[in-house]
Amino acid sequence: MTAHAHKLCMLGDFGVGKTSLVARFVHSTFSEKYLTTVGVKVDSKEVALPGRATMKLVVWDIAGRSQLDSLNMTYLRGASALLLVADGTRERSLHAALNLLMQSRTLLPDAVVALAVNKLDLVEQWEVAPAALEELRRTLPVHETSARSGAGVEAAFADIATRLAE
Amino acid sequence: MPASLAPAESRDGDRVEAVPLETRAPESPAEDPDDFDRLKTILFGDERGTLEALDARVEKVEAAQHDLPSRLPGAIERAQQGIGAARMSKALARPVTDALASAVGQNRQLIVDVLFPVIGPAIRKAIAEALRNLVADLNGAIESSLTPRGIRWRIEAWRSGAPYAEVVLRHTLKYGIDHVFLIERDSGLVLDRESAPHLPELDADAIAGMLTAIGAFVRDSVGRDGSGTLDSARVGEHLLWVVQGPRANLACFIHGVPPANLHAVLEQRLEAIHAALAGDGDVADQATRQSLQPDVLMRDARTDATPAAKSRWPVYAIVLIVVALAAWFLAQRLRDSAWIEEVRTSLAAHPGFVLTRIERAGGALTAHGLLDPDAEPLDAAAIAGARARMPLKLDTLGYVSTDDAIVARRARRLLDAPASVTIDVRGGALALGGHADGAWIVHAQDKAAWVPGVGSVAFNMASDTDAAALRARGEIERLVGDIGFRRVAFVRDTELADSAAAALDALASDMTRVEALAQEAGATVVAWTAIGTNDDPGTDSINARLRAARARWLADALLARGLANVHADAGNAGAAIQSERAAFVRPDITWAKP
Repeated sequence: MTAHAHKLCMLGDFGVGKTSLVARFVHSTFSEKYLTTVGVKVDSKEVALPGRATMKLVVWDIAGRSQLDSLNMTYLRGASALLLVADGTRERSLHAALNLLMQSRTLLPDAVVALAVNKLDLVEQWEVAPAALEELRRTLPVHETSARSGAGVEAAFADIATRLAE
Repeated sequence: MPASLAPAESRDGDRVEAVPLETRAPESPAEDPDDFDRLKTILFGDERGTLEALDARVEKVEAAQHDLPSRLPGAIERAQQGIGAARMSKALARPVTDALASAVGQNRQLIVDVLFPVIGPAIRKAIAEALRNLVADLNGAIESSLTPRGIRWRIEAWRSGAPYAEVVLRHTLKYGIDHVFLIERDSGLVLDRESAPHLPELDADAIAGMLTAIGAFVRDSVGRDGSGTLDSARVGEHLLWVVQGPRANLACFIHGVPPANLHAVLEQRLEAIHAALAGDGDVADQATRQSLQPDVLMRDARTDATPAAKSRWPVYAIVLIVVALAAWFLAQRLRDSAWIEEVRTSLAAHPGFVLTRIERAGGALTAHGLLDPDAEPLDAAAIAGARARMPLKLDTLGYVSTDDAIVARRARRLLDAPASVTIDVRGGALALGGHADGAWIVHAQDKAAWVPGVGSVAFNMASDTDAAALRARGEIERLVGDIGFRRVAFVRDTELADSAAAALDALASDMTRVEALAQEAGATVVAWTAIGTNDDPGTDSINARLRAARARWLADALLARGLANVHADAGNAGAAIQSERAAFVRPDITWAKP
């Protein structure tokens, strides 16, 4: 097996910025047209962890939707981690992300999970209340990210990599 | 006079505008153009100079724009020199690309015509290169047709049912394995990978993931029952094979045309890998990992290793059965041939038979030949013998044999030889021996030379009668022969012709001599019958009367010459001889011994 490779799936509603987060995180090999044709795009990135061996994250960017169909469930098989992505300016996207988490738990009960609330650069337009985020942080790691500025992106992926390495 | 402004009232009286005083003094010196210019100078001052400068710049810009088409090529050429070249290329890349795309969409044929001189030679060059490679491959194949490898390929073609040329091309066409990925079936993660040397580095994990995702997508889209798998894909000369396993898949990226047994080798590798997979999914066996290297796979595919070994036993069994059948068939043919040769020998040894042709048809053997009537009849059952391989049929035609034995049989039959006579024929020479009646000996001496197949006759016989009697009898027979041809001719009725007297004298003389020899020759009774004949004209009754009259005349004439026992025919005996006006004599001699 390739050294320390883990499968990470990106889940979230349409337009929350999953692909932008991946693009900010990795250098893409494949075109984004696969998202609209096959429904997924796979990239990989090696993550250097302090005091640990380098880890490779194989990122499956699954096309945005609020419900998982059978094909999406197939894409989730074998995943070690899930990065849920929500749009801070759309509270419904947060609900969709949590709903996707509930669905994926049936297939991946032991997967490492984190939530990225994206579009931090538009924080003044956020519908998601800080109190809600604080409540969520009690159950899963929450990262506030901005694919546009890059804020919090590396940290979100590094957090997942660190927890995978533990 | 300096210009001044005076307040003016509007009609409604509550709004005041400043208007030039000149407008209210049309007769003032300000109507002079020079004064007007001075006024404008006073009014606008420095702004006027600025306007003139702007006007000059506008004119200059317009002039520059007007000359742009003529100066643009030179400007682009200058921009291509020096450090600005890259910037110019980068700046023009997008508009030129868009313009080309637009041109292709709007006037495709023009683009084709423009590119034709470029594309044509390129295509021809590519085709020529491909044909050169193909010819080289075929030359190699032809050169190897009689080598052990060529013979092995022929056996493979025979086994697989494919044409020999296809097998040759399959083995000789160039191909190569670029990458081999061992991919975990569920996650799509790369468990192991091997690539051919000198290939650029690629993101194997991303490729394996996408391959797994596309496989799932295809299975979900096309395989309606969920059982289908993406086993292969081809783009141009590049081929992807995916060998499916329960825990891991083996993806092989190939260029060219691979041999069919490469797939079997990959399947075997995957089976070995599954056996070696540890619980954590690692490929523990280093040897197994090395077996995935492209050059090792290609070498094993060339050697045609294990898959063929499994399928060789049926081939050996089939070959053995075929060889056994061929041997049995050959043995049967040899036994048949030996029996046919025996039949041929038997037929050839049968006197009076000539074998012309022998053939097998309809499960029987038919012998065609010629058989002399005097030969012994052919017995098909006896000739076939106890070891007959099939029914024997005989098809014979008659002929006259010159075989000595058959000529002897023929001579005995034709001469009616008594048992006391021995007959021997050697080389066509007939030798008669033993003893026989004198009359038979005389008869044989006369007839023996006419027996077909007899070239010469030799008598070495003893006569049962004395020599004088034999001579007398022989003379009688000669005289009887002459008498039979003697005719007494008539002119009409019984009026004699001129030759009649001489003929009558000769006839009477021969008859007298016969009667004189009769006793010595052993004849017991000698009788003569005179027979008359007539020519065609005349009625039957008249002709009967003429025949009787002429017979009577001849009988009387002979009796008058001293001959006894002469009878005249009543006319009926000569009825069948209506050729001439004549009369003749028919002897009737009875011999004491035959």
